[in-house]
Amino acid sequence: MNLDKLADIAVTEAKRLGASYADFRFEEIRSENVEVSDGQPGLIDRNLSAGLAVRVLADGAWGFAATNDLSEESSRKVATEAVQIARTSAKVNTAKVKLAPVKSSKGNHKTPFEVDPFSVSLTEKIDLLKSYDALMRRLPDINSSSCFMNFRRTIKRFVSSNGSDIAQELLHSGAGASCGVVKSRHERAERSFPTSSGQYMSKGYELLRELGFEDGLPRIAEQAVALVAANETTPGTLDIVLSGDQVSLQIHESIGHALELDRVFGSERNFSGTSFATPENLKTLKYGSSIINVVSDPSYAGGLATWGYDDEGVIARPVDLIREGLLVGYLSNRESSGRLGIDSSGAAIAEGWQNPPIVRMANLILQPGASTFDDLIAGIDDGIYMETPDSWSIDDKRESFKLGSEVGWEIKSGKLGAMVKAPRYSGSTVSFWNSCDAIGDKSLWRLWGTPNCGKGQPGQNARTAQGASPCRFRQVKVGS
Amino acid sequence: MVSKDQTLSVFHEAIKSSTADQTELVLDGETIGLTHIAESQIQQNLSTEDAVIIARTVTGKRIGVASTNRLDLDSVKKAISDSVDIGSFRESDEAFGSLPVAAGTESPSALIESTASFSSTDRANAIWQINKIADRSRLKTSGYFKTTLSRVAVVNSLGTEQYFEGAAGELSLTAANESGASGFAIGYDRDVSRINVGAIAESAVDKAVRTVDPVSLPSGAYTVLLEPPAVGQLLLFLSFMGFGSSTFVQNRSFMAGKLGEKIAGDNFSVYDDAYDPQMMGMPFDYEGVVRRRVELVTNGIAMGVVSNSQDAAAMGAESTGHAHVATKSFTPYPRNLVMAGGQAGIEEMIRSVERGLYITHFWYVNYLNPMKTMVTGTTRDGTFLIEGGKVTSAVVNLRMQQSILEAFSNIRMLSKQRVLYPQYSVVMLVPYALIDNFNLTEETS
Repeated sequence: MNLDKLADIAVTEAKRLGASYADFRFEEIRSENVEVSDGQPGLIDRNLSAGLAVRVLADGAWGFAATNDLSEESSRKVATEAVQIARTSAKVNTAKVKLAPVKSSKGNHKTPFEVDPFSVSLTEKIDLLKSYDALMRRLPDINSSSCFMNFRRTIKRFVSSNGSDIAQELLHSGAGASCGVVKSRHERAERSFPTSSGQYMSKGYELLRELGFEDGLPRIAEQAVALVAANETTPGTLDIVLSGDQVSLQIHESIGHALELDRVFGSERNFSGTSFATPENLKTLKYGSSIINVVSDPSYAGGLATWGYDDEGVIARPVDLIREGLLVGYLSNRESSGRLGIDSSGAAIAEGWQNPPIVRMANLILQPGASTFDDLIAGIDDGIYMETPDSWSIDDKRESFKLGSEVGWEIKSGKLGAMVKAPRYSGSTVSFWNSCDAIGDKSLWRLWGTPNCGKGQPGQNARTAQGASPCRFRQVKVGS
Repeated sequence: MVSKDQTLSVFHEAIKSSTADQTELVLDGETIGLTHIAESQIQQNLSTEDAVIIARTVTGKRIGVASTNRLDLDSVKKAISDSVDIGSFRESDEAFGSLPVAAGTESPSALIESTASFSSTDRANAIWQINKIADRSRLKTSGYFKTTLSRVAVVNSLGTEQYFEGAAGELSLTAANESGASGFAIGYDRDVSRINVGAIAESAVDKAVRTVDPVSLPSGAYTVLLEPPAVGQLLLFLSFMGFGSSTFVQNRSFMAGKLGEKIAGDNFSVYDDAYDPQMMGMPFDYEGVVRRRVELVTNGIAMGVVSNSQDAAAMGAESTGHAHVATKSFTPYPRNLVMAGGQAGIEEMIRSVERGLYITHFWYVNYLNPMKTMVTGTTRDGTFLIEGGKVTSAVVNLRMQQSILEAFSNIRMLSKQRVLYPQYSVVMLVPYALIDNFNLTEETS
């Protein structure tokens, strides 16, 4: 397989057939998943997927075709099919696609890492997971436990008709654990570490030792045992403090998705919905309190949404989304930004070679504040501290939400008190972010990876990240 | 696309090279044609083809799994050797019996020609027709028209050989305008020519046109008339929470310890049946075991769960033929859910409601408490007030906070008409349902 040749055939053929723009993308994705459940090795899976895709603009409309056949004949055939499909689209469309300009790029990007996870033996991985499992199983009341590690290496090549030629090698590592206590059909509790679906980053095997399982797992085991007997939350309107991973989910659901510009323009209306944050709100909507600053930054090292270039060849760069509470920007690709007359934020990402790129979240960073954890709690007379996402649901305009955590603690007179079971809270996006009056400091800040964000038709599963520290919100509707 | 004969030939040849005691190869392939529209414009139009080959090997009692999307003989052999290698790092699974020795099925091909030959031009023509209908009401359209050609092969070293080709067409449509009017309709059929494009467009447009000046309602327990997509979403989450063998065996589902007991109303019955003439589902699972029709709930009584061979062994039963691909560790779940209908007509159901809500579908359904089958989610794209037996006005969307089993204990009427509704690789045949005391809360925005 000669990638130079495959790319040249595809782009040349598409242009020959009349495409005004064409790009070729090859991806080879190698992954490994290792699980230990209840002390025994569970699913261990290695997967390899490779294929090529050609995306074209012809007569002002998009066409896309992809295949796992990596022959030269196939590359030509896929290019031909993409052009045919685009011409078909053009017959229906009344508006032509207008792309924001992009400088052609020739470059490489490779995730830096210390230890290649694919060089570590399965024996070592399984032994490590077993040791994690044992940490949770020290308590006899724990009657279910599981832990996993997951690694993915993606080799990408992007070549476009405007002269871009980009090679990338992205490495993702992830790991997590959970344990549960079942006393009866309705007396059960589960806790997770570092967060509910594990922590993922653009790193190597060194991530495992950085996550702090040795301290964290005994702690969540103790919490799981206590949680079974904990009371449910008393419904009310209270001040709350959310843990960093819970704030990460809140950013993801009520800022990230709401500010995807393709969605703002209606691309998701039939599936994940639209957004209240329409362009007339740009630079006028007070999205949050003045301490809220959110940046999209795919160039930030180590995030699960860190890359050198997006899947349209746009170089990674930070873009302000919310500055001192004011809405100032969007996540965008070349098409949606072209429609608004701005530069692409460089957030066009496809799941694998099989899908066309759509607007996804780059690393979304909520800038840290100045509060210590004790400061956050001390400022509350009657409230709840909530930790680890457990349930989430948000309406189709991203205006109102109901989210929940695995565990909470009452806050009375500025101090943490009794544990409460699975607290839920609900609110409306703008009011909620405007009620934020304190953000944890840099020492509490962390970039949380989300490995399973669904969007698009056909459905695509993206890997995103949100940087957050614990935050305090005033007068939030709380229940169970 | 690689043919059946080529696939089986490569599989049989590759299995000969295996050093494992038992070897299984599965091909799970799809060819997708999809046109995605947004704001009445074709935004994405694509054709993709892929196939994953999953090798599962058993050496002693050590099981390994590896997969690839390369179907040449060397790559498949490599997947097998990787699987053997992975298995060597695992401990013996004493609960594992054997790969199944499954008889081949004489499955009727579900590769319906009209669907297989449906082209991007055919999809575009349908979109053009839809847009014409929406234009009359100054509405924009969003959604997709999709055809999927699927092929699955299962071959193992014990003589199992299964092959299936299927097809399906799916049209999902939202008609909307910038004032907030929005209506949804969906069609699904193995034979794409039976999807009534015009009727789906008219339905979505009709709901959108009627979504003017929506009224806000307070939180409360309402009588609701759910369209089949709304019923299907509840049924699907119920299925995820309890109709699979793994959570049943582990005593982690609402079905555990409840077989033979009443868990829902007399008029709620559901079973899994790949052989239903409208379903035309895959007649075997990813272990090659022939699927059985499984009664899940009959007249409100918990009857059974679907299983794979490993869970079935733990239950002292035979597999019902619902194994997933070996790369997935989650519980088996039904793929072809058939819910019993009633005798009512839709208009009759509306006329019987003194005060209630008509709900088209839900959005972002998620668990609150799986053991209590509690879920949340919001109404969407066509929520209306019914007063005095008539649909009177649009309603601002509400949030559901409801136990699904409680809802299915409060079904007052079910429609005779049932429609196919697909979601998350599950196809459901579901009626309209009139349900009392359905908990909805006012949204906070």
